[in-house]
Amino acid sequence: MNKKMIEVKNLCKDYHIVKKEEGLKGAVKGLFKSEKKTIEAVRHLDFTVDKGEIVGFIGPNGAGKSTTIKMMSGILTPSSGEILINGVDITKHRKEVVQNIGVVFGQRTQLNWDLRLGESFELLRHIYQIDRNEYEETLDVMDEILDIRKIIDKPVRQMSLGQRVKGDLVAAMLHSPDVLFLDEPTIGLDVSSKYALRKFIKEINKVKQTTVILTTHDLGDIEELCERLIIINHGKMMEDGNLVDIVDRIAPYKTLVVQYYDHENIPVHHSCEMIKTEGNMAWYRFMKADITAAALISELSEKKKILDVSIEEAGIDDIIRIAYGQ
Amino acid sequence: MFGKFLKELWHYIDVTICNIKMALMMIIEYPANLAGWMISNPIQFILGFATIKFVVEQFGEINGWNYGQLAFLYGLSVISHALSMIFFVQGWFMGWFVIEGDFDRYLTRPLGVMYQFFFTNINIFGITDLIPGICVFIYGCVKSGFEWSILKAIAIIVMLIGATLIRGGIYIMLGTTSFFTKSPMDFGQYTQEIVDKTTMYPISMYPESMQFVLTYLIPIGWVSFYPVSGLLGIGDSSYFGTSAAFMTLLVGLIVMLVAGAFFRLGLKGYESAGN
Repeated sequence: MNKKMIEVKNLCKDYHIVKKEEGLKGAVKGLFKSEKKTIEAVRHLDFTVDKGEIVGFIGPNGAGKSTTIKMMSGILTPSSGEILINGVDITKHRKEVVQNIGVVFGQRTQLNWDLRLGESFELLRHIYQIDRNEYEETLDVMDEILDIRKIIDKPVRQMSLGQRVKGDLVAAMLHSPDVLFLDEPTIGLDVSSKYALRKFIKEINKVKQTTVILTTHDLGDIEELCERLIIINHGKMMEDGNLVDIVDRIAPYKTLVVQYYDHENIPVHHSCEMIKTEGNMAWYRFMKADITAAALISELSEKKKILDVSIEEAGIDDIIRIAYGQ
Repeated sequence: MFGKFLKELWHYIDVTICNIKMALMMIIEYPANLAGWMISNPIQFILGFATIKFVVEQFGEINGWNYGQLAFLYGLSVISHALSMIFFVQGWFMGWFVIEGDFDRYLTRPLGVMYQFFFTNINIFGITDLIPGICVFIYGCVKSGFEWSILKAIAIIVMLIGATLIRGGIYIMLGTTSFFTKSPMDFGQYTQEIVDKTTMYPISMYPESMQFVLTYLIPIGWVSFYPVSGLLGIGDSSYFGTSAAFMTLLVGLIVMLVAGAFFRLGLKGYESAGN
């Protein structure tokens, strides 16, 4: 049974900014007569997230992802619309709802910079009223995935970025929230830290059925974590659906890369498009509906002797580029 | 209903104890900071007091207040200043928190935002102001021949609580303007100048219009002048006697309530900060 975890209804957020004019003259003018401008950061978003889903929020910088996440986690007040977490309106019952959510901002930390990591955890244990046994149990689970006990006695200021983000993730999960919001969690991390972090997200999603909403610019995060994508741009919903479906719809093609024995008379084929050649290599883009890869390879090999082939799926980067371009 | 209230109260006390422990750990982490404050803060107030001593020696007394009584007033004022430094000094820096989006974290936790803002950052260093305050106050008690009684002791404690709330409320209101102006104003200098100059000396020495403002509009007069006048029985302002101390508490609660409402209004317009 799919339980609705997050319901977002007709969500809008406007910012009012004062237009600044150029130079000292403009600044003085602005003192007396200022022009106000309204920026619609988020426009009429509607979506529902079920318990246990991992949803990737993607969109270019300034698209409204962070604003949306901040509204869903109680930081910003929506201009209009409604956000229900587990059926409760977060705008009206902030304290009650946030007991049930965890938030990590990749570029900031909620840990005390000067003290050992464990002290920050201890404070959170009191804030969320977690009893000691439960706390130790959660920490054991976290330790299995992230080796957190190895760094628990280290002052946060001496940590590497990877360790700090691990600390922040555990801090956000100490009270076992139903929903975890991650705003660019892998930003700036090295490959092994990213790997550990993704493993962690997958594990808690599986073990604790935690619903995860994350924003990211990292294609690897999306590929490995998100079954579902919500693409927003200019504050509007561009796509919402299963990753595979979106790929099939926006970029329903594959690319066959063929390496021939030599570069003379590279053949073309009527049911696909040759997008480029380079020496003895050729790239053929074909629609999955038009021809199968096997048929294409066998027909090309009749025309010219093939040394090697590989198939490239339409990348998520293509999807994102196309979706952003709309 | 009442049980729920008690449970919530205990939650806040529990978190406060934890915060104080962390603040103490930070001092142990950086002991040189404490040493620095330990030297500079007392010097500031002892010098301030020396100035008063000089003035009184020149003129005999200020507006009917003799040297011992002035020490009594000055000492209590510095004590409530120190208490406000410990619990409410963050208000001076609220603008930076607004600009840099530092309220985000408080909003995602299941506690009051204003509580977290002040108590996550308890300023234990404020204790370094308490010491000169207490010294001057004890000196003033002896010099002015103050007669202690249980009622007077309670009145002094009540007055200090009220005075701390008045000061804190003023810091909160000034800091909250940052939500509207979206600029990080550091009010520390202004508040210290204005509030300290008007609480360490009897406000009866200022023109009447000024006194009116300090009594009704910006009720700084209640921080020290009226309750101490009452306690020591000096001049017209001693009309309320010891009960003036309880008026201070009342004024403090009102100022805090207004400040809290203003803060909530400001927080509604909070815009966080871009990443």
